[in-house]
Amino acid sequence: MGSQSGFRALETMLQVLHDPVMDVLNADFFADFFCLAADRLEEKRHALCALDGAIGDGDHGSSMAGGFAAITRALRQQNPTSAAEVMRIAAQAFLSEVGATVGPLYASGFLEAGRRLQGAEPLGPGQFGLFLAGCAEGIQQRGQAAPGDKTMLDVWLPAAQAAQRAASAGAGPAEIARLTAATARSACENTAALISLRGRAARLQDRSIGHIDPGAASGAVVIEALCDTVLSRLRHAGST
Amino acid sequence: MPEARREPNRKGALNRPPIRFGDDPLLWASWLYYQEGMTQGAIAEVMNASRPTVNAYLADARAKRIVDISIAPEHMRTISIAKALEDHFGLDSCLVVPAQGGARTLIERLGNAAAGLLPHFVHAGDTVAISWGRTMLALACAARLEGLEDVTVVQATGGTTAKIAFAPETCATKFASNIGASCITISAPALVSTPQARDILMGEAVIRQQLAYLERLDCAVFGVSSLKPNSSIHGSGLFESVFQQYDYFDQAVGSLLGQFIDAAGQPVSGPLAHRFIGLTLDELLKVPTRMLVAGGADKMQSILATLRGGYVTMLVIDSDTAEGIVRALDIRPQNRLALVRRDSEQAAPAAPLRLSVKKFLNEPRDAVIEAMEGAIAAFPDYIEAIEGSPRAIRARHCHDAGPGKVGIVIGGGAGHEPGFLGYIGEGLADAAAIGNIFASPPPDRILSCTRAVDQGAGTLYIYGNYSGDVMNFDMAAELAKAEGIATRTIRTRDVIASWAFVDRDARRGTAGAIFVIKVAGAASARMESLEECERLARKANAACHTVGVALEPCSLPETRRPSFALEADDLEFGVGIHGEPGVQRQKLVAADRITDQMCDQLFTAMDLQEGQRVAVLVNSLGATPMLELMILNRRLQKRLSARGAQIHTTLLGHYCTALDMAGASITLMALDEELVSLLDAPCKGFAWQR
Repeated sequence: MGSQSGFRALETMLQVLHDPVMDVLNADFFADFFCLAADRLEEKRHALCALDGAIGDGDHGSSMAGGFAAITRALRQQNPTSAAEVMRIAAQAFLSEVGATVGPLYASGFLEAGRRLQGAEPLGPGQFGLFLAGCAEGIQQRGQAAPGDKTMLDVWLPAAQAAQRAASAGAGPAEIARLTAATARSACENTAALISLRGRAARLQDRSIGHIDPGAASGAVVIEALCDTVLSRLRHAGST
Repeated sequence: MPEARREPNRKGALNRPPIRFGDDPLLWASWLYYQEGMTQGAIAEVMNASRPTVNAYLADARAKRIVDISIAPEHMRTISIAKALEDHFGLDSCLVVPAQGGARTLIERLGNAAAGLLPHFVHAGDTVAISWGRTMLALACAARLEGLEDVTVVQATGGTTAKIAFAPETCATKFASNIGASCITISAPALVSTPQARDILMGEAVIRQQLAYLERLDCAVFGVSSLKPNSSIHGSGLFESVFQQYDYFDQAVGSLLGQFIDAAGQPVSGPLAHRFIGLTLDELLKVPTRMLVAGGADKMQSILATLRGGYVTMLVIDSDTAEGIVRALDIRPQNRLALVRRDSEQAAPAAPLRLSVKKFLNEPRDAVIEAMEGAIAAFPDYIEAIEGSPRAIRARHCHDAGPGKVGIVIGGGAGHEPGFLGYIGEGLADAAAIGNIFASPPPDRILSCTRAVDQGAGTLYIYGNYSGDVMNFDMAAELAKAEGIATRTIRTRDVIASWAFVDRDARRGTAGAIFVIKVAGAASARMESLEECERLARKANAACHTVGVALEPCSLPETRRPSFALEADDLEFGVGIHGEPGVQRQKLVAADRITDQMCDQLFTAMDLQEGQRVAVLVNSLGATPMLELMILNRRLQKRLSARGAQIHTTLLGHYCTALDMAGASITLMALDEELVSLLDAPCKGFAWQR
């Protein structure tokens, strides 16, 4: 990245100066978000694999890090111009790279998010809940999991609700971002008290209790990366 | 140790043991002696027995092997867990019922155990409230009390509208008639449409009189409902209208006496507040004896919430759920048995934790692709890459296959070698899509396999029943359909699980897939139609049963660390082929005893009868050598012939592995003429030729 991200930041700042509220959640924003999420997932690759080893097959960290790295590669090559287009590219890249369980789930999440972002642009910085809700919906549709089944949905759904509720209650973008990240973190921790009812961990039944769900943990990493991208944009715009 | 009960006994004999010992004085005496470390004199006093009696009890307990380590740990385990729960939640008593065993369902066994406790706390003249649900009905049906005068049973909540077998009124009347009590039902619904309607109903004299009984309860007996989709609360009609609008998962984790509670057991207020008629949670807390009867892994969260809310003084629960709670709270049962055992069996010092596993690797991320390139180079007569992708592989014989042959596409994660690319070839599958280690291949790769084998007669997908594979293959099937290629799907489900509530549809697929692929491949080679290939593969799938045991975990190339930790003298029973832990951890015993346990489960699962023909697959999970497989097979064949089963064919070796896991699986396939002829047909894959 280097100079490219510096340029992006400058460009964003100019945009924000031009129009301080609207059109912050554009293609560049989501590209930055995917870059940050990919970096964080790479850092956590082994930790996530270890978490998965406790109740699953131990490959989750690799799938997530590999999938998000593929997304950032595809975005660099294709240089999309709208947030909805970013989502379509992300879904395709993730699915072709990973397969596995997370492939179809995240691909469906991004596609649904893309459908919701289509036509909703320009989006203000506090409207990222739209993306979260789309992901949650797509993941639920594809995986057919219910809340409380100890899956990634148990992070995506509460985070999406927190963001949308805070936004409709009139909270500022920075506050929404902080609240959403905190919700994702605590929702992730709460999965330790649940019993796996989906995926390979389901065979463990109550032996899965006491372990955080790896899919929820990586979901929280991705959502925090999103919130941090929002906060960093706001900082660049000087309006925290 | 709670104080011993000293209530006057009719015969002036023994004191009654605390509930967690069942009604077994031997177990009680053994516990006091071996676990609590009390003297025989002190025990005699607690039990209200003579010292020689206690001495005889202890001798009897040994003779009956209650204190033998091969039986006792199970008893001691449930008692230890019960004691841990009593201590942690300040319960008066707790009875832990074994989660498995017997023909009766868990709910029946819970109800039965709870019914057996009634004499401990229901006395003449008492007023007892009972809630509703499956467990309560089981309790009501099993309850028997004789000779208690003036007992009154009250329905704890108003009624439900739906016609269900375990409605509040049914539970109360059944319970009352079985214990010879009079019964007070509540002539109002548990949930009314508005707070105003509630006020009007509560003002009615008849209802007010009925509800007045709830204010002088001596005991309340209740279950708790989870909010999961399978919960009986959804069929009750109780909340049907409000459930959708109620954002329940936000805070509520269970329903107790028809009222929502959160994870800490606190009432959740919502659209239902002030519309409920019955025993409120505040009133419940004032009842002196409050017995919760509930079990099953899916209720774990709601049971924990009920305990945390302090609603319970007596608990009847199953051992799996109780253990889950103990583990979730990280409260460790005091297992002094371990100290006792150490006298005879010096515990070996823990082996130093192995941090890294050595492997032949270049860049770990390239492991799969490099392995596939090596395989294609090794077996050029059998397999080739599709369009240069070494992870979409087809059989060489595809070139000779004429039009009209059904294509068989298999696949799944890597790490199971020679599964699954070793089973493509003549008389087997036509192509395999290979994912990352233990991860499903993506849809586009499956699609290119589908195109490569399409001869206009459609394609049959065969893969293990895992959510990732299901989603990716389903997406591929949608894409194939858009290109005009018909597909059918077989998800292999041969792994038998010891969990009673895991139905066949939820079962996973492991080594049994090899038999299913063989049958489908033979059918396809005979130019059977897609429908017929599917039928035969489905039949083969239903005939296969597998159980796996791991001695050591496996390690992934990327992490090079053991995928889970296993003590030096433990094994994992019921493992799959992805390095995940099994369904149960137990002590390592002799090979014949392990084989016996595997046979017991397999024979039961397939209902193996005398004269049944079977195909056998004794499979290494990776690190276990042929020598040990042969030892397992020796016992297996003995057990099969003792059962009178006819062994048609035996495969023994590395057929479907989990990287470097030490362990083995046994697959039995029940055969009939049709399956025999398909199994005996020639085949030519690099991992299986005949």
